[in-house]
Amino acid sequence: MGRPTRVAAASLALLMSWVAEAGVPEILLVIRDHLFFPSTLEIPAGVKVRIVIDNQDSTPEEFESYPLNREKVISGNSRTVVFIGPLPPGEYPFFGEFYPKTAQGKVVVR
Amino acid sequence: MKQQLRSCACIALLLLAASNPAMADGRVVNKVYHPYVDALHYELEYRLLAQDEQSGKQNLAQLQQLSLGRSIGTRFFAEVYLVAAEHRSRGYELAAWETELKWQLTEQGEYAVDWGLLLEYEDELNSDAQELSFGLLAEKELGRFSGTANLLLVNEWGEHVSNERETTFATQIRYRHNPAFEPGLEFYAGQNYQGMGPVMQGSIRTGIRKSLHWELGSILGLDQDSPSNTWRVLLEYEF
Repeated sequence: MGRPTRVAAASLALLMSWVAEAGVPEILLVIRDHLFFPSTLEIPAGVKVRIVIDNQDSTPEEFESYPLNREKVISGNSRTVVFIGPLPPGEYPFFGEFYPKTAQGKVVVR
Repeated sequence: MKQQLRSCACIALLLLAASNPAMADGRVVNKVYHPYVDALHYELEYRLLAQDEQSGKQNLAQLQQLSLGRSIGTRFFAEVYLVAAEHRSRGYELAAWETELKWQLTEQGEYAVDWGLLLEYEDELNSDAQELSFGLLAEKELGRFSGTANLLLVNEWGEHVSNERETTFATQIRYRHNPAFEPGLEFYAGQNYQGMGPVMQGSIRTGIRKSLHWELGSILGLDQDSPSNTWRVLLEYEF
């Protein structure tokens, strides 16, 4: 194995041992009638947040946001978790990919 | 989870320690895998690799792969491939079939690095040669940059191939400029190959839960053992 491979592999192993601390703030986001409630989530800048998404519709939905670099499918009548941040101040829109005309929202970071 | 990740680190180091030198098969450059699975999702994918000719070597001219994949639950993605190769000495042939399974280990953004595993099996159609690959996929987000790394241990065996074990490493850094265009840089290293070059990729939405993803790269050989350039093209229809 060449030297660049060894250096890269050593870097990878180092990254593996580096994990984040637990205990991040949690926010509930409900999907009902193909709408997000609340449609605006406010979070502090520079903090990682755990969003619990509760899909109360019987059909699946996908939380998608290119600015947040997240896409996550939530089956009908089920819950899932999406982690976002730490983020700089700004607005980060998201939408439901199955029902994009109605399922719209944004994360506001202050 | 910390214990699980430490175990992964130990496995990676053991894989590296166990690796032996082997002949390159010209397939170090391929694709950088992300450690994520999109549930309720199918993929139809086409890949093309075209290598420059190396003097004194009968390296592959082209390799084309066509695959169909689907997610299994929320954590697994399975894919089946047909592989066609163009050899400089004997032209095109349907060369192999492959199957692979990706396992998303951690939730995106939950830890400092996101992790996945990849298991891949390949069986050559025209000779008794098989290959089993297993390895780690990692991704780290830094603002609008995303860094991805794949470390794979490859075992080859069969009558027409010397039984050997090799490692391959691939890494990519990309800038998420907009969904349709993300420039980046890729580096590949394996037995008798080291290459690095620019890549571009993007996705175009074609409907609800339907999109076309594309990747284009030119990977330049960094030493005399490597082809001077390898073109990498990927087209993927996601539905």
